[in-house]
Amino acid sequence: MFSQLKARFGSSLSIAIIAIIAIWLVGMVILPQLIMVDYSFRPNLLPKEIGGIKDTYSLSNYETLFSNDIHLSIFVKTIWSSVLVAALTLVVSYPLAFYLAKVATPGQAALCILLLIIPFWINEILRTFSWYIILAYKGPLNALLLSLGVIDRPVRFLSGDSGVMVGMVYAYILFMIFPIYNAIESLDTNQVKAARNLGAGWIRTHYRIIIPHAKPGIATGCIMTFMLAAGSYAVPALLGSPGSRWFTQIIYNWFFEGGDWNQGAAYAFLLLLICIGFIALVMRIFKVGLGDIAR
Amino acid sequence: MKSETIMRWGVRFYIGIFFIYLFIPLIIMGAATFNNSRFPTITPWKGATLKWFEALAQDGAMWTALWTSIVVAAGVLVVAVPIGICCALFLSTVQGRGKVFLYSLMMSPLLTPGVIVGISTLIFWKGFSVSGGIMLTVIAQTTFISAYVMLMVLARLQRFDRTLENAALSLGASQWQAFRRILLPYLKPAIISAAVIAFLQSFENYNTTLFVKGYDTTLTVYIASKVRTGLTPAVNALGLIMILTTVVIAIIYELKRRKEMTQLNTK
Amino acid sequence: MDSSVHLDNVVMNFGDFTAVQKTDLKIESGEFFSFLGPSGCGKTTILNMISGFLDPSEGVVRIGGESMVGVPANKRPTSMIFQNLALFPLMSVAENIEFGLEVRGISKVERKKASDRLLELVALDGSGNKKISELSGGQKQRIAIARALAVEPQVLLLDEPLSALDLKLRQRMRTELKDIQRKTGITFIYITHDQGEALTMSDRVAVMSAGKLQQVADPITLYREPETEFVASFVGENNAIAGTIENIQGNMVTLECGINGKLTGRGVGQLSKGQTANLFIRPENIQLGKKGDMVFNATIQEVNFEGSCLTLNAFISSGLSVAVQIATEEYSSLFIPKASIQLSFMSQDAVVIAGEEHV
Repeated sequence: MFSQLKARFGSSLSIAIIAIIAIWLVGMVILPQLIMVDYSFRPNLLPKEIGGIKDTYSLSNYETLFSNDIHLSIFVKTIWSSVLVAALTLVVSYPLAFYLAKVATPGQAALCILLLIIPFWINEILRTFSWYIILAYKGPLNALLLSLGVIDRPVRFLSGDSGVMVGMVYAYILFMIFPIYNAIESLDTNQVKAARNLGAGWIRTHYRIIIPHAKPGIATGCIMTFMLAAGSYAVPALLGSPGSRWFTQIIYNWFFEGGDWNQGAAYAFLLLLICIGFIALVMRIFKVGLGDIAR
Repeated sequence: MKSETIMRWGVRFYIGIFFIYLFIPLIIMGAATFNNSRFPTITPWKGATLKWFEALAQDGAMWTALWTSIVVAAGVLVVAVPIGICCALFLSTVQGRGKVFLYSLMMSPLLTPGVIVGISTLIFWKGFSVSGGIMLTVIAQTTFISAYVMLMVLARLQRFDRTLENAALSLGASQWQAFRRILLPYLKPAIISAAVIAFLQSFENYNTTLFVKGYDTTLTVYIASKVRTGLTPAVNALGLIMILTTVVIAIIYELKRRKEMTQLNTK
Repeated sequence: MDSSVHLDNVVMNFGDFTAVQKTDLKIESGEFFSFLGPSGCGKTTILNMISGFLDPSEGVVRIGGESMVGVPANKRPTSMIFQNLALFPLMSVAENIEFGLEVRGISKVERKKASDRLLELVALDGSGNKKISELSGGQKQRIAIARALAVEPQVLLLDEPLSALDLKLRQRMRTELKDIQRKTGITFIYITHDQGEALTMSDRVAVMSAGKLQQVADPITLYREPETEFVASFVGENNAIAGTIENIQGNMVTLECGINGKLTGRGVGQLSKGQTANLFIRPENIQLGKKGDMVFNATIQEVNFEGSCLTLNAFISSGLSVAVQIATEEYSSLFIPKASIQLSFMSQDAVVIAGEEHV
């Protein structure tokens, strides 16, 4: 490989390119992850004890999670809620993605996409914050529902997980829309017309023709949304309550309140494993390979 | 045909609701800036005011956080853009079996949850006695922002006609001269776009920054902390300014991108 | 100055595939030399070996007598015009032309003089400030030429530069290229699959097929005295009648062609009795009636009017279709399909080359 680089760029530039890439990959991508995993298997020691007799490898940090009921329930809740967020986002996004890909004219689609993208340039924190205002106890949503007579008393949207999940759907919706849009767009519209011509109703057309074709996009969207939701800190921090903590918040506490980085590393690694596991699961369910998941 | 019309109006209704859902929160947040109410809301409306902008301007901590964000973003620019360019150059030149693996490796920071990037950076550098702060934040953010830069530069690089480099060589240019005079000018638009995106990504980052910031605070972290403690519509004021700035940049960027796309398609 | 190019027993292998078989060829200083052959015959590979973008697997490329082993492309006394021209899109016309001089550190003043001179040479004075995108196809061609000439190469390599142009433009560019070559005295090495181009412009042509040089000669010799079956059929139009060698007398060879009778032509190469061979006779050398010494009957298949001449396609006894070119004045309304006619040719004009039946 080096000779291919050298042929194009000459020796000095090629060496610089390889050196820079190596520093980044090794120093920022690979080693930190490995050290983190290494940390997770070692106990929390004082600096002078590191490398000494107490410094042994064990699974004790991982066992902590499974023996701590609260942490475990939060862990499970985080995963389950992230799955729900992905599912919810999928349901909300699919119609729009389909509309943009097949129903709208190119001009309408371009405009819609522009309108979609603009909010997403805005900070995730600000967008989540704006939901905070809406969902507040004395906020506009409650005011609206009260005035319409739908409810008698204001609802506490911001306690419990529902607020967090709504916020997440809002925050990550673009990551679901675009992969699905791209996937459906590549479907030959004539196939849809053919199906309709042969008498298929819309539901069957979607189920048998469109969705199978859009599978890679749906898979990508679900994966991205799940990972963003499971690994999200901002949204639960802003929209959640002490009773509805997110797993990431537990991890944070280990670092900055509990002072046990090794424990935190173990929890973090578990989170990473869950994400990877979810990717593998989705790929199997949807029968898509790594190559299909291209952005 | 009635069911078709119902469907069509149903679709329009859905699209309408969707976009309302997308924009309403931001509009409400912006509107709440002007409400003379201690708590940011538009209900009840207690009269229009600009005092929250004033309160914002006098918030010293906010200015410090803003400055920190800018310094970090500048640092990330300086480091991540060259890394991304190198990766793009590498991937577009090299063929072979290891390539797919290396590509996946380079993309992995993008798929790793932000908190994990932050945590791993924090732990790694503790071994070198470097703790949280501006430098660590730059390093942590560079880890994944480099990958964004790589993607953007690579996209343009792959459309480059390599016979131009051969032409330069056949005219006697050295490889360095061919790179500097032919390839780099071609990449300039992509590099600038990537730099803009890198800056914005750095500015708005929260999950990763949270773990590596140490005693320093970036603007985004500052906003989040204010929401939990000491929330006043001054935060809305800041939010509104940031939103307007971002929207302007976003619109300019998108329109430029579309113009470039149409130019390329007509050639 | 010696601007000769010597391919000293060069071979080019890509793994198991031999793109260019052992070739020993000397191109003279100041020659307009073409490599002619179909796609994939190896001509581009040869060009890349001369220019330095490829290193030969065996053998040595010499330019001006000097070995080019270890000399990279950007240090050779060659300059190349690429098939897609490869003009630098972000630079102006003048900047393109001056590029080769700029990288050599020539001063701005000198560079401007050079580009002005070259723009005049290619008849595009004053276009220096234009953008590449503003030029037409023919203009881009000429700028590519000007740019390549600016570095004053000893050898100019041209990779099918006219293939993207339309017919009239191509014909005009042919004359212009020939003109420039005469004026500058640079050795031109030209590759193409278009034999019209190769034959009109070149001093000598090397016909290539499947990595092997079939014949190297000036255009007229190639046309009149092809040495291989490939050359006979690739260069110009040619009819081929198969047969077995019956008799050899001096350089005249008689073929027993079965139902087509016995036909005689000039033999090429080592021939022996009993060998299968093809007799090649060009359409313009076949005449109506009994004027030649080889006479045979045929049935008209169709008549195609081509402006200055007529092409008659006729079936000879075996059913093979031969093309006959006659002058428009000789047209007769009797030339209808299925009509019988008598054709003849001079055995001097026919060429017999050994080989299986040519299809």
